[in-house]
Amino acid sequence: MTHTNDHELDTWRDQWSSVAAPPAEFQRKIQQRIKRQERRFLLGNLLTVIVFLGMLIFAVLMRHQSPWMGPNWSTGICVLVFIAAGCRLWVMRRTWRPETQSTRAFVELWHRRVAARIRLLRISIYLSLGWIIFCAALTAANWATIGQDVKAHPAEWVALLVVCVLMQYPMIWFAAVWLRRRKQAELTEVRKILDEMDGKS
Amino acid sequence: VSEHRQALEARFAHILTDYGAAIARLAFSYEAVASVREELVQEIALAIWQALAQFRGDCSERTFVYRIAHNRGLTHVSRRRSPQPPLPIEDLEEADQPVDPRPHPEEQAARTGQRAQLMSAIQSLPVTHRQMIVLALEGLSHAEIAEVMGITENNVAVRLTRIRKSLKDSLGERP
Repeated sequence: MTHTNDHELDTWRDQWSSVAAPPAEFQRKIQQRIKRQERRFLLGNLLTVIVFLGMLIFAVLMRHQSPWMGPNWSTGICVLVFIAAGCRLWVMRRTWRPETQSTRAFVELWHRRVAARIRLLRISIYLSLGWIIFCAALTAANWATIGQDVKAHPAEWVALLVVCVLMQYPMIWFAAVWLRRRKQAELTEVRKILDEMDGKS
Repeated sequence: VSEHRQALEARFAHILTDYGAAIARLAFSYEAVASVREELVQEIALAIWQALAQFRGDCSERTFVYRIAHNRGLTHVSRRRSPQPPLPIEDLEEADQPVDPRPHPEEQAARTGQRAQLMSAIQSLPVTHRQMIVLALEGLSHAEIAEVMGITENNVAVRLTRIRKSLKDSLGERP
């Protein structure tokens, strides 16, 4: 521990230096955690690729199996995937690896990142509303064909409607609102830290 | 790739050996609960590992480690739902018995008490003040603290004086 002519600081430094030691088996535990994290990273990437390819295959299959709505559905899914990926990349731009920066830069970036997340949530809500409108328009456009099927199997269509619209969308809506509230709280916390750094509090 | 990975692993092991104790102390200022603190220490080490491959020496290794550690500490504090009160002194004494070879038990007890008071006082400071005093206690110069925190040296000097006064007042108030 460095000693100076400042007696008070030296005393505190002496006390501070004996405060804590690294936890037992520190290095071994870290190595295990790194391996776990690398496995998760690989699996996560693999899963993303599988989901993306799965959606493309699903879209192609729909195109061949349901001629009355296949092209619209497959186009819709592809457009949705690309818009979602594009929005994510756009919103998260310049927000990678911030931890090696100074505290000030880190907190400012953190602030931008949380604000971006809140923006992304708002866009997701609009996007999901757009998706509902798109589905409704698609159904209306193909009502001549769908209508006959609805009249033939009304119970199945009601069940589908309940699951898709009345259950799924409120759940997505509440999850988005809950997440937004959490992010707003985080934003307040980050602003507090920024104010503290500026000496405002 | 293998050689590069080995070199990275060797450098990482070297960093953990050199700064392991400092990281543990630093985690102490952000988290009072021992089990959560251990988790935080691991998170900091993991963040260092993740950033190490991109480290090109644009700052000293020391600055690099402290920046990551403090930024991760800040994230940890913000994730907590409610503010954590400083750990009671009795708990600190139980949780962190010193490894002190001094032969006099009374002196050892007094030192333990002083250390616990200092820790408790540091934990009760606002988070950025805590960060600054911890860096000073780790022996960083004003220039290094300024580099870690991204503020000017003058600013560091002015604020440290204020923080030290507040820490001194806080220690004076304690029994």
